[in-house]
Amino acid sequence: MHGVRQRSTEGGRRGSRLAKLLKYAAVGKVTIRNHLAYVTDFFIRSIFLIIILYIFIQLWNTTFRGEGTELIAGYSFEQIIWYLIFAESFVIACPSLSTKIEEEVKSGDIGYKLARPVSYLWFHYAGYMSEVFIRMPINLAVGGMLGILVLGPPGFGWGWPGFLLVSVGAFTINFLLNMMLALCAFWVEETRGLEFVYHKFLFTVGGMLMPLELFPQVLQKVCAWLPFQAIVYFAARTAVSFDAEAMWRMLGTQAFWIAGLGAALMFIYRKGVSKLHVNGG
Amino acid sequence: MAAIEISGLSKTFLVKNKKPGLRGSIQSLFKPQFTRKVAVRSIDFQVDQGETVAFLGPNGAGKSTTIKMLTGILHPSEGRAEVLGFCPWKDRKHLAYHIGAVFGQKSQLWYHLPPTDTFELMSRIYELKRGEYMARRNELVRRFGLEPYMNTPVRKLSLGERMRCEIAASLLHRPRILFLDEPTIGLDVVVKQQIRQLIREMNREEGMTVFLTSHDPGDIEQLCNRAIVINHGQMILDDTVANMKREYLTYKTIELKLAEEAKDVSLHGVKVLAQHECTLRLSVNTSLTTIEKTLSDMLRRFRIRDVTIEDPPMEEIIARIYAKSAVHKQSGVLTGK
Amino acid sequence: MSTAVNVWRFVWTCWKLNLAGAMEFRLSFLLTAGMMFVNNTVWIFFWGIFFHRFPVINGWEVRDVMMMWAVSAGGVGLMNVLFGHANRLATLIATGQLDAYLVQPKPVLLHVLVSRMSVAAIGDCLFSLVLFIIFGDLTPDGMAKFVSALVIATLIFLFFTLIVHSLAFYIGNAEGLSFQFYNGLLAFSTYPTDIFHGWGRVMLFTVIPAGFISYLPIGLLREIQLSYLLAAIGAALALTAGGCCFFYRGLRRYSSGSMMAMRM
Repeated sequence: MHGVRQRSTEGGRRGSRLAKLLKYAAVGKVTIRNHLAYVTDFFIRSIFLIIILYIFIQLWNTTFRGEGTELIAGYSFEQIIWYLIFAESFVIACPSLSTKIEEEVKSGDIGYKLARPVSYLWFHYAGYMSEVFIRMPINLAVGGMLGILVLGPPGFGWGWPGFLLVSVGAFTINFLLNMMLALCAFWVEETRGLEFVYHKFLFTVGGMLMPLELFPQVLQKVCAWLPFQAIVYFAARTAVSFDAEAMWRMLGTQAFWIAGLGAALMFIYRKGVSKLHVNGG
Repeated sequence: MAAIEISGLSKTFLVKNKKPGLRGSIQSLFKPQFTRKVAVRSIDFQVDQGETVAFLGPNGAGKSTTIKMLTGILHPSEGRAEVLGFCPWKDRKHLAYHIGAVFGQKSQLWYHLPPTDTFELMSRIYELKRGEYMARRNELVRRFGLEPYMNTPVRKLSLGERMRCEIAASLLHRPRILFLDEPTIGLDVVVKQQIRQLIREMNREEGMTVFLTSHDPGDIEQLCNRAIVINHGQMILDDTVANMKREYLTYKTIELKLAEEAKDVSLHGVKVLAQHECTLRLSVNTSLTTIEKTLSDMLRRFRIRDVTIEDPPMEEIIARIYAKSAVHKQSGVLTGK
Repeated sequence: MSTAVNVWRFVWTCWKLNLAGAMEFRLSFLLTAGMMFVNNTVWIFFWGIFFHRFPVINGWEVRDVMMMWAVSAGGVGLMNVLFGHANRLATLIATGQLDAYLVQPKPVLLHVLVSRMSVAAIGDCLFSLVLFIIFGDLTPDGMAKFVSALVIATLIFLFFTLIVHSLAFYIGNAEGLSFQFYNGLLAFSTYPTDIFHGWGRVMLFTVIPAGFISYLPIGLLREIQLSYLLAAIGAALALTAGGCCFFYRGLRRYSSGSMMAMRM
């Protein structure tokens, strides 16, 4: 009797493990299928990424040859190209929050989500972070392959973990800023234009197209006071030119911005929610 | 004077067979396999100037393909056609000046602009002389009752108003033949009547030939004096509408909701199609009896809660025509001429 | 048959109507054109900073790059404003929407192309104009050269796009492919030609003729380099002739209904 019971319990445990496995596999399958649309989009972006990187490799090659020096503003040719690869991979990984929030507001979904207030922002944050940390490594792999082909394997050492660490704060700040703009959907019809302009700021003073060290002094000082630099520039710079002391300072700056922007986001969010309640959604 | 004359017109398409999956895709890339799909199988007919023809057939029968060949959009696989003296696919541009087309899917009207702007564009496309164009335009606007909306953006017009503008636009250049594809679809009864009347008038007064495809029996009965039926790419009927009605529209369906269950319904010329509790579906053979008689007989016997009278659907008529033509296979096409 | 005057009147009416339709929604119109303008400004920012740090790159100076952008943005802007359906052609072909144009007595290619105007591209055109006013040579000679450069650029953009989109007459899914080629041409035409060497440079003057466009500020605007200019004009004319032929050949195939399977 005892033996039979044991066997059936073991079978039960194995059965539940199998069931769990199947469940996760099913969830995984659905998630992958959901991302299939992303996959075609991803291929298109990858081609574009390759074209842009090719062009920039030619540009910087010509520039370095023209200058005749090994380093420009502390970066070698390889470092600048890898900087661009990291920066592009980072930016392309970010989804459009404006589209998501706009849809929620228009469809009225938001009513249900707001039933649990703080959870709403955390809910979107969790979704955002999990998405970018899947997309970014994939982008990096594609860009990285081109980089390795042209420049040889990189030797960043501590740069990799440093990049990962700084990325967390970087993506968070990006999320906060993006979300603040997206929440304007509570007041304004179209927020995609705002998001579009925001991206342009990221490309320019955020140091995506070029490391900030190459900017004129005056502009560099201005950028140091803006949150944009703490996003792409911090992350990409840590990757290609790791400096422990600089990294801790970056993390500190990020913490400051996260605190400030987080508070601002909560404020905007509460105002928006109260407006929704007043208007009945 | 023949407006349209076609003989032996045929069209066969080669449709690529692609097996599903990755292997199928690769196979179809290197060794593509085709099936021949015969859309139109050697049709002949002649339409005289001034006739109004209903071109009928179920979906997939070859109607659009035939019209595309008549308007020069498509080249046939075999056969010849002459529209207003032109070969449509060889002299497409010349022919285009003299035909009008109102196709269901694509609206000619520019969506965000008032109809008057589209009319202006039409005058440029068809190279109408300024004075003539203005006179013609004003006449059509008056006729179709478009004054109130000439300056309203098309997107703000109702479907009926849009359709009237659409047809008016297609008549600006005085086409000798007007090809219409489902012109009254989606319109309410009143608007349908208006549109049919306008087209009828244009036909009567200007001798414009009308070539129309429709699934609406009302369109056929009120607008056309001749019907050509096509099915599976072949012509199976070419007769006047009057004859067709007499021979094939010989029954109507009545659906009755009674106060109590009907037992033993047997009336002359009436067949019970279906009976479920208090609902009764009857088929009335109008060559043997009339709707009035059937209804009054039913009223005398039962209390009636609701009545619906339906014309047989076009598909059914076609099916009957086809069934009858299968019987008359030897004589080929059923024609009254 | 239609005389040139009639065709011109027809085209002009189409352009008028397109613009009128676009302006029906004033705010949306301004926003769309404005966004394109802002988008382009990012690159001016980039090049401004770049040339501040590196005044000369392989003979190119900041003025040359700005004029290159003026010509590129102007060329692609004019293409999308005046011939706005060029970028949608593959879709129109695949979905059988050419039928409506075949029924009307105007040249099909022209009719299709001018029936749409891209509002965003108006931003490109404005951008081009602003750049020319700031960085260009505002003498009559300079203006004549700029206009010529715009014509060459527009022709190359237009007929290259037309050729890749006309692949839809032969291939099923040409929309993605043609868009990539168009994007590629656009991207490469906004970087100084002389940073490319070897096979890259060869590609820029053959498969993706962006080199002819990007070199205009050096080979025409700054000083006329005859061999280059003749090659550029030749390329533009060759693309024009080739594009028209390729389209009409494809149209014959369309009319034979070989693509019916996709259209039904």
